Amino acid sequence: MILGIVMLWLAWQAPSPEAVQHVETARHAEAEKRFELAVAEYRKVTDLEPNSAPAFVSLGQALIEEHDFGGAIRPLKRALELDPNSASAHQLLGYALLAQGYPTEAIPHLENAHEQAALGIAQAETGQFADAIVNLQAALQKRPNDPDLLYYLGRASGLLSKQSIDTLLTAYPDSVRAHQSMAENYIVLRQMPEAEKEYQHALQLRPDTPNLHLELGHVYAQTSRWPQAEEQFRTETKLQPGNAEAAYRLGDALLQQGKAKEARVELEHSDKLLPQMPETLYALGKAEALEGDSAAAEKTWTTLLSIEKEGSLAAQAHFGLAGLYRKQGKAKEAEAELQESQRLKNSSSSAEEQK
Amino acid sequence: MKMPKRWSRLRRVLGTLKRLFGVACASAVVAAATSSTSLFEVKLPQGIDFVLRNSPSPQKYLIETMPGGVALLDYNGDGLLDIFVVNGGQIESPMKAPENFSRHDPRYWNRLYRQNRDGSFTDVTEQAGLADAGDGNYGMGVAVGDYDNDGFPDLYVTSYGKNVLYHNNGDGTFTDVTAKAGVAGDGWSVSAGFFDYDNDGKLDLFVTRYMEWDTQHSKDCGGNFHTYCPPGEFPRTTNILYHNRGDGTFEDVSVRSGIAAKKGHGLGVAFADYDGDGLTDIYVANDGMQQYLFHNNGNGTFTETGMEAGAALNVDGGPLSGMGVVFQDYDNDGRPDVIVTTLPRQTYAVFHNDSKGSFSDRGLQTGLTMLSGVTSGWGVGLEDFDNDGQKDLFVAQGHVLDNVEKIDPSLHYLEPTLLALNRNGRFEPANPGTDELVAARGAAFGDLNNDGAMDAVVTVLGGPPQIFMNRGGISHWLTITLRGTRSNRDGLGARVQVNGQTRFATTAGSYESANDKRLHFGLAAAKAAKIEVYWPSGTHQTLNDVPVDQFLEIREPERP
Repeated sequence: MILGIVMLWLAWQAPSPEAVQHVETARHAEAEKRFELAVAEYRKVTDLEPNSAPAFVSLGQALIEEHDFGGAIRPLKRALELDPNSASAHQLLGYALLAQGYPTEAIPHLENAHEQAALGIAQAETGQFADAIVNLQAALQKRPNDPDLLYYLGRASGLLSKQSIDTLLTAYPDSVRAHQSMAENYIVLRQMPEAEKEYQHALQLRPDTPNLHLELGHVYAQTSRWPQAEEQFRTETKLQPGNAEAAYRLGDALLQQGKAKEARVELEHSDKLLPQMPETLYALGKAEALEGDSAAAEKTWTTLLSIEKEGSLAAQAHFGLAGLYRKQGKAKEAEAELQESQRLKNSSSSAEEQK
Repeated sequence: MKMPKRWSRLRRVLGTLKRLFGVACASAVVAAATSSTSLFEVKLPQGIDFVLRNSPSPQKYLIETMPGGVALLDYNGDGLLDIFVVNGGQIESPMKAPENFSRHDPRYWNRLYRQNRDGSFTDVTEQAGLADAGDGNYGMGVAVGDYDNDGFPDLYVTSYGKNVLYHNNGDGTFTDVTAKAGVAGDGWSVSAGFFDYDNDGKLDLFVTRYMEWDTQHSKDCGGNFHTYCPPGEFPRTTNILYHNRGDGTFEDVSVRSGIAAKKGHGLGVAFADYDGDGLTDIYVANDGMQQYLFHNNGNGTFTETGMEAGAALNVDGGPLSGMGVVFQDYDNDGRPDVIVTTLPRQTYAVFHNDSKGSFSDRGLQTGLTMLSGVTSGWGVGLEDFDNDGQKDLFVAQGHVLDNVEKIDPSLHYLEPTLLALNRNGRFEPANPGTDELVAARGAAFGDLNNDGAMDAVVTVLGGPPQIFMNRGGISHWLTITLRGTRSNRDGLGARVQVNGQTRFATTAGSYESANDKRLHFGLAAAKAAKIEVYWPSGTHQTLNDVPVDQFLEIREPERP
């Protein structure tokens, strides 16, 4: 881009032959990555052509390539004095300022240059998280999977989240949501007793808050306290009779305690509320198998496999079918299911390792 | 492709953390006790001063978290069980080659404690010839069996390094006969057990090995947390099968028998005849992978059938971090079932023997899933502690990682003991007699004070053993000693049925440990017993109207 500007300038402005000679030398030096020489040559050009904005842009560019961001700021500012509409100058100056730790100063130049990626980063650095997220998402659409952009987007999103939570905790420290938020933080840190305490506090304040019992149930489930988990999930199903997840969780908690019959009722209910959830179907098949209803379990797991053909749940369903067939004396079918289960397990493990 | 829907927001977050930390998740404490009174009184009898010195180091050598075994045996034939405990060794930081674990230093000796008539114990290690565990051995486990049928139980001690076979001379002393017997092995042996796989009347020996590892090729895991590595970080290795030639020597038949065809991360081992063909089969608890069930083909070879039999993976088809194992019949249907202890969040596996060589995981039905979600199990026993006619479950617990709390505050290195009473096939938590949190490893079971109630001894890393003395009760019992004539002298491998209950005669099982060879049956209110013995020789013997509450020796008929 910069080279194009210099060439355009050379074509239209008729600079002195001496300046043209230095531009040529600088271009060769840049091509050979001898940026120090290129900088020296462009300096001579700016001395010979002190009113040429493209010459200052080229000098700034060469300095940036030499990682002398501080040194690039002055010539780029001069370029903008000479040509305030130079998009290249704005873009490069924005980069240089950002790299030098002046994100606030960089933002107007990056906005002017429509440089969304760097703008998003600068905004994240200045605490403008919401704007940063918008710009980084836009930049990611153009450069999907760019690890730097993904990193900054993640960082900006996390910081925005933290900002909101901090505001919540400062302004409303004893609110239901503050305790819920604290509990969620403790869960991420796996500090389950503290998470439990926060949820209990939140529930004391407003016992009918949707999802609180569900989340507290999760805490109990994570620590294998299934009777307590069952109690919380059951309360949630009463608060939200139409909540399929609550019914599923209750069914799973019952299943973990070996209460197959009750588990089956809840899992069937969840399946009615929100059909075709693979996890519900897998658990339902287990409950049916546990009850000795092999035909129902076979049907449920087969349904699951029609929805989900790959992945760990599919592998588990095949494994479950292998167990059913083995019990029925169908050795061949059992072996086939076992092999399919192993194949899927191995492929999900390698996918996981690649991740 | 459309992504499948999932409930699990939380699970994803935790899954990411797990990947980041690169360790298996571990355990929090389950409040197991449901009643204030306990079957057990936990105490350290007078005379037992053993400390299991595992010598944890900053290098996180994996061997440090794996010892040690315990054996209950009557080594001097006085009718009282004695206690043998295996010690670890001293670890330098870092270890230099050649490795020396200071086993000459008395602090690192294995110990034999002879029981006295008053219930106290006397350290007889030195006089028994068991002092000084030798150079380059870091102790692991112990097996007990009378390999030469002379009526005195012999000891086989496993190690990281060389294993040692101690022949019991019958005069209170032992002799190291490893070199002559040819059973030193090498690498990292963990559990071992004597059994007679070819029913020739001479006990053979099976040794599990954990991995290809040595201190010079060790590493730690967990990033900045510096934890012991999971087994998958090191190559798998083979187990060893020694055939008893009957002349005091053994032949390594690992390759010929097919045992060496399957490499793994072997820890626990247990024996039983799961398909009723009269031949003893082998179950190996592997860490972090499928479990192995070696079916005895009857021609000196074994076929690994864990997968086909449904006894290799958990209920969801996932691998298990198998550590301890017990191979006995928990539901009195006459067929041996398998219980494998594991790491937290895997839950202990209950492989119910469905007959015809097929198993199914009954963790959910038995309630064991609920009791083991956040704990790590090692030594394990199925014994009828309350003499009600149903075998109860006892598990020595404690996480592998001594700094697991730093990685996951919801898990704990020190854990309580699990006692779960069998109520018609469902295990219900009971008070084990202590709420002390420990890093327990080995566990052995037997009737220490001959009161007709089963006791337990548990080893604890860095501490003294825990001895669980059963307070006994009013229920009846019967304890049988088998005296083989055509079969091996202790009748190991026999199937014994008493009033509808079945036990498989073995000293092996648990983790790194060896149990009382006597077969104990709780008989509840029964006043008499019908006993059937299916000897390894093929002889079937029946005894009717046997009085209860006694120690009974049953001698195998010399002619079929």
